[in-house]
Amino acid sequence: MMLSDTTQLALRNLREAVLRTALTALGVSIGIASLVGMVSFGVAIQDQVVGSFMRSGLFDSVTVTEPFRAGPRAGGRGRGGANAFRQQVGPSKQAPADTRLDEDALKKFAALERVVEVFPNIRVPVQVAYGDAHEFTAAIGVPMSARGRGVFQSFAAGRFFANESEDACLISQDFASRLTDRKPAQIVGTTLTLAYASQGNSADAAAAMFPGMPPMLPGGLNIQRNEKTFRIAGIVERQGGPDPVAAVFGAIMIPLAKARAMGSYDVLSPQALLRPASDKPSYSTVTVRVARAQDTEEVEKKIRDMGYTAFSIADVLKNDRRAFILLDLFLGLVGSIALTVASLGIVNTMVMSILERTREIGIMKAIGGSDEDVRRIFLIEAALIGVMGGVFGLILGWAVGRGINYGANYYLRTQGVPATNLFLIPWWLVAGGVTFALLVSLIAGSVPAMRASRLDPIQALRHD
Amino acid sequence: MDAAVETQDLAKHYTMGRALVRALDGVTLRVDRGEFVGLLGTSGSGKSTLLNLVAGLDRPTAGSVAVFGRDLNGLSRTDLSLHRRKMVGMIFQSFNLIPTMTAAENVALAMMFAGVPRGARDKRARELLEQVGLGGRQRHRPKELSGGEQQRVSIARALANDPEILLADEPTGNLDSKTAHEILSLLQALNDGGKRTVVLVTHDASIASRCAQRTVTLLDGRIVAEKRS
Repeated sequence: MMLSDTTQLALRNLREAVLRTALTALGVSIGIASLVGMVSFGVAIQDQVVGSFMRSGLFDSVTVTEPFRAGPRAGGRGRGGANAFRQQVGPSKQAPADTRLDEDALKKFAALERVVEVFPNIRVPVQVAYGDAHEFTAAIGVPMSARGRGVFQSFAAGRFFANESEDACLISQDFASRLTDRKPAQIVGTTLTLAYASQGNSADAAAAMFPGMPPMLPGGLNIQRNEKTFRIAGIVERQGGPDPVAAVFGAIMIPLAKARAMGSYDVLSPQALLRPASDKPSYSTVTVRVARAQDTEEVEKKIRDMGYTAFSIADVLKNDRRAFILLDLFLGLVGSIALTVASLGIVNTMVMSILERTREIGIMKAIGGSDEDVRRIFLIEAALIGVMGGVFGLILGWAVGRGINYGANYYLRTQGVPATNLFLIPWWLVAGGVTFALLVSLIAGSVPAMRASRLDPIQALRHD
Repeated sequence: MDAAVETQDLAKHYTMGRALVRALDGVTLRVDRGEFVGLLGTSGSGKSTLLNLVAGLDRPTAGSVAVFGRDLNGLSRTDLSLHRRKMVGMIFQSFNLIPTMTAAENVALAMMFAGVPRGARDKRARELLEQVGLGGRQRHRPKELSGGEQQRVSIARALANDPEILLADEPTGNLDSKTAHEILSLLQALNDGGKRTVVLVTHDASIASRCAQRTVTLLDGRIVAEKRS
């Protein structure tokens, strides 16, 4: 018997009992709708949390810092969380002594396998002057390789630096709105001035920069104020930068070479501040970019073996991921309850249908229908109910999700919280939902279909 | 001459409650190719049971049944369904048409199981219905047809896959005598002087003697008489 004929027979059988078919399919729909609703809620939450990290494009980078110095409290009754973190990301026990993050260290990292690029994370504390506006922030050094990656994928206006030696900067849309009311397109091409500190000999300059502070800091450090003018080359849509810390604070970004020239030491880092001026420059954090996200773990381990502290966003998300899988599983299980009930509905419908059509089954067998033919007819009936229910269930789930989303966002807006999408139905959920409905109905239909196929034709023909 | 049907000590026993019923109790019978045989007997004599065994709808308790030299005992369930599909055409007292299907669809259904493509089976269904005198009633459902017409549909269906043997179980049992006469004439025409084997089960000796070349009488599951007419 040809499959198209079997399907046609199954369809006509379903049409003969429209109401029963519709009700059974509706049961499946509700089951699928609740499943899809639950899972899409989980997906949306996950998207809210993980998605923001994902979009930062920082999955392929490892952040390296100098090892934590074991302070007096470290070995004793320190906070459990801090100790655990230290154990997780800190250097291995047999760490070598020299663990400064200087140019030599950068070269060592670059020599590691699977490492694509190594660059220091330089944040220069600056005072930004744009027209009448003044803002304190940190200018972040961005390597040219960051072009088109992470936050630099989408510009509200303008574009990435043309070259490393350009006196150009990028600012985030958020920061731009703090500086001026002008539109992004109008800001691009204008200039702003960055005031920054550098080591110098003039106590007067330091006094001008930090009024009220003693001109000479311990260790003979001397600070002077400098100013530099930058052209705004582009405005990025999201706050960000080439490393995790910058991703959170990145308001203004300049070419890495410029940042190095402005002061390769970080005024925010006590290590850098207190190091004798004669020392080679070193960095508080360094970003090591690897070929693929999967490589981070291996590279991290090697760097820790050298005695440094290393971590990546992948580490943080690994635990998150596990939690989200559990959440999805839990939501899926709750959603499945309705589907389980619906599958019993399918069993019931099929059993009824077989009982009603026993004689018909006998006739089909008497005129040459095989067990397999009969089994397939009933199985396809169940499958059709499942697919119809699945498709309608998706529509139902989507509609209900939209409704709840609308209501929830209406409430959120009244509370001053920006609207978010609470239900996300990705393609895999659409395909998975229908496939699952099909699978469940095939399982539910298999036993009744098997029973129908094993009916004794003589008994069946006597049946009224 | 070849044997269309050959049974050897064929028996079918079953239990009804606690009693053992010997529906068929050692029947040895040979039906030649092209023969029109009448199986005569009262209710419970085993004639329908014998017909079902030949049709491959049932399996014997003992003995063997072969159709065109093929022992049905050795066939799997699937092979038995192939046997019913290709070798035999069944005609029942109560017609056994599917009520939700039209006359043409009922006839086509048998060909659907045989995997005949749609166009070919629709055409053949039409031709067969014309052949049994129902040219204008293709799209009628069984309910809209008289008893005689329903039996004609069922005969057309039995012929759908061009079987070697027609097995008719009391085909005129539910019909008035005039209609019964027409149906029997149709069966005789299908036998066509030896082109197709027909086995007719009836309790009416006059029907058997009128159209069968040979009448075999059964009683309590055994052959008690054989008569050539």
